[in-house]
Amino acid sequence: MVRTALKGKTMDVDALLKELNPGGAYELRRDGYWAVWPDLDVRAMAELMRAREVRLSTMTGTPGADGSLRVIYHWDVGAHLLNLETTAIEGRLPTISDILPAADWIEREIRDYYATEFVGRETTEPLMLRETDAPGLFSRTSDVGHQTDPAVTARTTIAAKDGGSR
Amino acid sequence: MSKIPLGPFHPALEEPYKIEVTCTGETISDAEITVGFNFRGIEWLAERKNYTQGIALLERVCGICSNVHTMMFCRAVESIGEIEVPERAKYIRVVMAEAERLHSHLLWAGVACNLIGFETLFMTCFSLREQVMDLLESISGNRVNYAMNRPGGVNRDITDPASVLAAVRAIADATAKQLIPIMTTDPTVRARCAGVGILTREDAIAYGAVGPMARASGVTTDIRKSAPYEAYGQLSFDVPVLPDGDVYARIVVRALEILESCKIIEQAIEMMPVGPIAGGLFPTVPVGEACVRIEAPRGEVVYYMASNGTDMPARVRVRTPTFANMPTARVMAIGQGLSDLALIQASIDPCYSCTDR
Repeated sequence: MVRTALKGKTMDVDALLKELNPGGAYELRRDGYWAVWPDLDVRAMAELMRAREVRLSTMTGTPGADGSLRVIYHWDVGAHLLNLETTAIEGRLPTISDILPAADWIEREIRDYYATEFVGRETTEPLMLRETDAPGLFSRTSDVGHQTDPAVTARTTIAAKDGGSR
Repeated sequence: MSKIPLGPFHPALEEPYKIEVTCTGETISDAEITVGFNFRGIEWLAERKNYTQGIALLERVCGICSNVHTMMFCRAVESIGEIEVPERAKYIRVVMAEAERLHSHLLWAGVACNLIGFETLFMTCFSLREQVMDLLESISGNRVNYAMNRPGGVNRDITDPASVLAAVRAIADATAKQLIPIMTTDPTVRARCAGVGILTREDAIAYGAVGPMARASGVTTDIRKSAPYEAYGQLSFDVPVLPDGDVYARIVVRALEILESCKIIEQAIEMMPVGPIAGGLFPTVPVGEACVRIEAPRGEVVYYMASNGTDMPARVRVRTPTFANMPTARVMAIGQGLSDLALIQASIDPCYSCTDR
């Protein structure tokens, strides 16, 4: 039996967000819902999403301005992506991989790149790196490659010659 | 009980990947997957290349769905910069995306036929795939790495729509008459694949499976429908979904998707408006961030991009479909015979180059 996916299938994202964090601020942008909640209870979030059959699209680790690591959980809520951002406190975040196995490889990869520890995992084996490699490849090499790379050409060079105007 | 390692290099797979299965007799009781053998640090590199170079770099994430990755990179830039894409360019992007889906599905179908020992159908699939490659070459000038996308549009117009239509109709006709009947009704295919490697709907959602993998397990998600982008909102097409969750269901879903892609290309060519195909010079990307996604041949691709206003992105995150789908191999393999393993992992339509980036 072949069925057709529903067009524009969506869910009440506002109700979902209110259930997750009553009073928490969020906004709907061109590319989806965004919320920055530093004290987000990620395990409660994962439990709620699993109960609602919301799929974890992926997670993004990205360095914050103060040297901390921002971790964004991207959820598929139908017509939109729901992007919930929190911060890894002292490089640690609770794991959600025991609740949602979709997070297993992603947490391992974030550890590979930023040495973030996902607390509660039995093991966190490298995913992209090898067992002998130290975690935190991107963090350790954050200053590498920018100045010496030929990528710094074109617009930057022209802008410098023009006195900084772009 | 015995442990059997397969990979990272062996004849059944042309990309490096390792799965170590624990067997009781010939029945698989556990499986451990190892990837990363083709890790190139593309996300790291993308943060050290300017946006123009980034397009060429991201096109190398995957040899089959290269167009997807340049489109994603450009869509992320367009989202941050609030750049509008001309209508004609949106339709051209759709044509390229669906031709790439045809290429991917036919390549996979051929490999799957080879694995189940159906050499005649393998040759049929690859013959059709050649026609798709010719079509892609006629539009872009290239058989792979098409270099079609740029922020704000596309680089090349479709100058001979009649030949594209004729090519797609020939592919659709051959698919409907030769490929679909065999793949969906042949007793050999059914006997080898039905009931093998089941992924339940619940597991598909919990593991975050995407694309034909998920739709063969009853998950009704297709980004082209649920969150239409480019010109998909103006086009009429069906999304095949099956509840069975086995290898056979994945074959049927992908086979039917080939016909839907042909249908989409025909409509896109006929509805494509006259007009420009791109904006002006490469835009300056302002400070900001965006997370975009599209439905690639193997399923949803997600890109996160952050810009600090310089000519290089501050962060580029790439989540490919196989990265989401591959972990399901463990649950699909447990309880199955060892001889089914190659078929199960092939039914994912895996791309380890994408996964490792």
